[in-house]
Amino acid sequence: MRESAHIISLRLLIHLALVRPFVKLFFGVNAVGGEHLGDVDQCIIIANHNSHLDVPLLFSILPAKHIVRTHPVAAREYFSRWKVLFRVVDYLFRPIWIVRGEKIEDPLKGMKDRLSSGHNVIIFPEGTRGNPGEMARFKTGVGMLAVAYPDIPIVPVFLLGPERAFPRKSPVPLPLWNEVTVGPPQVFTGDRRDITAALEHLVRELSESAVANRHRRRKRPKPPFTVAVLGIDGSGKSTLSRTIAKQLANASSVCLVTDGLELYQQGSRKEAQPLLSEKVREAVGKYAKTAKSLKHYKAPKLAELLLRDHIMGEVARWYSPDFIVLDGCPLMNLAAWANLYKEDRFDADACATALRVLSGQCDTVAREDPVFAEFPELAALRRLRLTSMKLPDAVIMLDVEPAVSVARIESRGEQRQVHETEDKLAKLRAGYRLVCNVVQTEFGIPTRILDGDATIDVLAATALAFVGENLGKETDHE
Amino acid sequence: MWSDVRTGAVVAMFVGLSVLALVARTVKVGARVEAYVHYLWTFFLVFTVTEVVSFGVAVWILAPLCFVGLREYFSLLDIRLQDRWGLWGSYLSIPFMIRFIQIDWYGMFIISIPVYAFLVIPFLIALGGKQTEGTVFSIGAIDFGLFLLVYCIGHIGYLAFFSTWMAIMLLLNVAVCDLVAYLLGTWGRPPWTGNVVKYAASMPVTVMLTLALAGWTGIPCTHSLVLGVLIPVLVAVGRYTMVYIELDLGIARDRLVPGRGRMIDSSASSLYAAPIVFHYIRYFLT
Repeated sequence: MRESAHIISLRLLIHLALVRPFVKLFFGVNAVGGEHLGDVDQCIIIANHNSHLDVPLLFSILPAKHIVRTHPVAAREYFSRWKVLFRVVDYLFRPIWIVRGEKIEDPLKGMKDRLSSGHNVIIFPEGTRGNPGEMARFKTGVGMLAVAYPDIPIVPVFLLGPERAFPRKSPVPLPLWNEVTVGPPQVFTGDRRDITAALEHLVRELSESAVANRHRRRKRPKPPFTVAVLGIDGSGKSTLSRTIAKQLANASSVCLVTDGLELYQQGSRKEAQPLLSEKVREAVGKYAKTAKSLKHYKAPKLAELLLRDHIMGEVARWYSPDFIVLDGCPLMNLAAWANLYKEDRFDADACATALRVLSGQCDTVAREDPVFAEFPELAALRRLRLTSMKLPDAVIMLDVEPAVSVARIESRGEQRQVHETEDKLAKLRAGYRLVCNVVQTEFGIPTRILDGDATIDVLAATALAFVGENLGKETDHE
Repeated sequence: MWSDVRTGAVVAMFVGLSVLALVARTVKVGARVEAYVHYLWTFFLVFTVTEVVSFGVAVWILAPLCFVGLREYFSLLDIRLQDRWGLWGSYLSIPFMIRFIQIDWYGMFIISIPVYAFLVIPFLIALGGKQTEGTVFSIGAIDFGLFLLVYCIGHIGYLAFFSTWMAIMLLLNVAVCDLVAYLLGTWGRPPWTGNVVKYAASMPVTVMLTLALAGWTGIPCTHSLVLGVLIPVLVAVGRYTMVYIELDLGIARDRLVPGRGRMIDSSASSLYAAPIVFHYIRYFLT
């Protein structure tokens, strides 16, 4: 009995003369509401857990009367990896060791023993240190303990700073201030789930007051929401995309990527800073339109599409608009054109693989995949590393009968391009439909196929409603 | 005999400040004044130890002072995980700087931080991880904090090496300006008029103080006059700049809590004055 009393006082001395001054002078501790801990004779302390520093920090603000009879809950298998550390921790903090993942009859037994003998327990209800600065859901063990000991007050504590001073991923601590916010002790009655939820709410409330006035870097601008309007030539996609862009621009800034770049802000067109790559693309596009045969059309068209894709990135970087409206999506056009050139070998699987390769998920496709043998262009693009093309966030396809679109093109009175014949446009249309289908099913990108015969007002209204529906949704292709 | 009087004066001021610090604690004058008194007290501890023991010992008291200021700044900053080695580098540059002051190696002191630390820290940050985004911001913010809260404070230490009384003259002048600003602070004038009023009120006092101390600092009267006119300007400029920095860091002057701006706010007025007065004296008088 006498011996144990002696050891206990030595521990107290070490805490008060060594551990506490070190934590306070090296890291710096600002305790808010620390007097709450002095008010109670026995308590269960619950805190968020981000760092190994949490326990020393809590001990550094404990009143002297609590120090030798407070026990944190710690994972044995973690600390027992280093013998010396284990013994030091075991001596200084007298933790209640638990082995994670072990199936035992009553995992709370250690805590119950200590509480029954009048000691305090420190619990981190998140269970693990988790990601720095984030609070995970509380596990219900703490609720069960509160149900078993309804008279022992629970003290919620929020620790701010340990996730920076000694984060989980870092091997060494760093001198940075810590803020320990202690809430008033409370007793709880009710179901264990309700108590756990109430405790989590309490700690979150403490965190809001502590975190609110912390310095933050400027937030990264949100990447623009990209809407692609697809369709064969003469389907009216240029008109539709321009209408959509103008309407979206009423409340935000929109960049329309069509034959040229058009920037809309607050409902009117704004002068855009010229981009060199856009000038190059225009020249290449013009050259492509003069091609006499499909064979001659291929290379310049491919270059034009790649440049157009590059411009999407440039636009996001230089104009940082809220929306990018695309008159034809480079990546999807590229895939659809494969149908024009190799109709017999282009199916949904090949299309999905090609899209995966081109949209930067090259490593998910095997190098020997037959698709590379069938489409040597794809292999060439991969070799040239032109495989970081962008998928849009939403796709709208205007579906028009080839005969109708040929009539429309003729009525414009422009010179017809090589592919603007009825049978080729039919192939292209099938290609677009296939790509849209694949994009929706394989990549989870919202897609809507509209009937191109409707009037522009109806089309624009439907398209805008569709964009609005999908605006807030997360897309997982990034 | 003169040196005894001077030493006595330093010790007397130190004792006076110690009493003031105790009074400030009991009377509850507010965290800001209390922190300021502690800041001055630390410097007078340095001066007293210089007079009573030796400068070589005293200058090391500046190391914890720089450490506390830098730690406070880094704690308030939004840092990335991989900047940690850069922060370690910043902390480690403090003892080097102090050592160069101690052995009076001016050439090395003056380049230790702006050349070596500023080049090594970005390298350490780059070594720390693969996240490139935010690197420029981190390097800028870390280097700037090191410059302001270690290098500029270090100049006061080097000034004390030239002459304890030169450093005392600087700190007393800064304290006078701060006192005037504190007394006039509640007037609520627009910033520029306020600054002109504060300057007009503090300049006669600093000129008289500098001239009165001229015998002990060893600064000729002309230069004492110039310094008396110059220091309030530097203090005003420094304070005006530091308000922006403090606000961005989230320091609320009216309720300074531990670890959130006590040291930065207290040292704000000396940060601009220290290096410029130091170089003025070094250029004209040594």
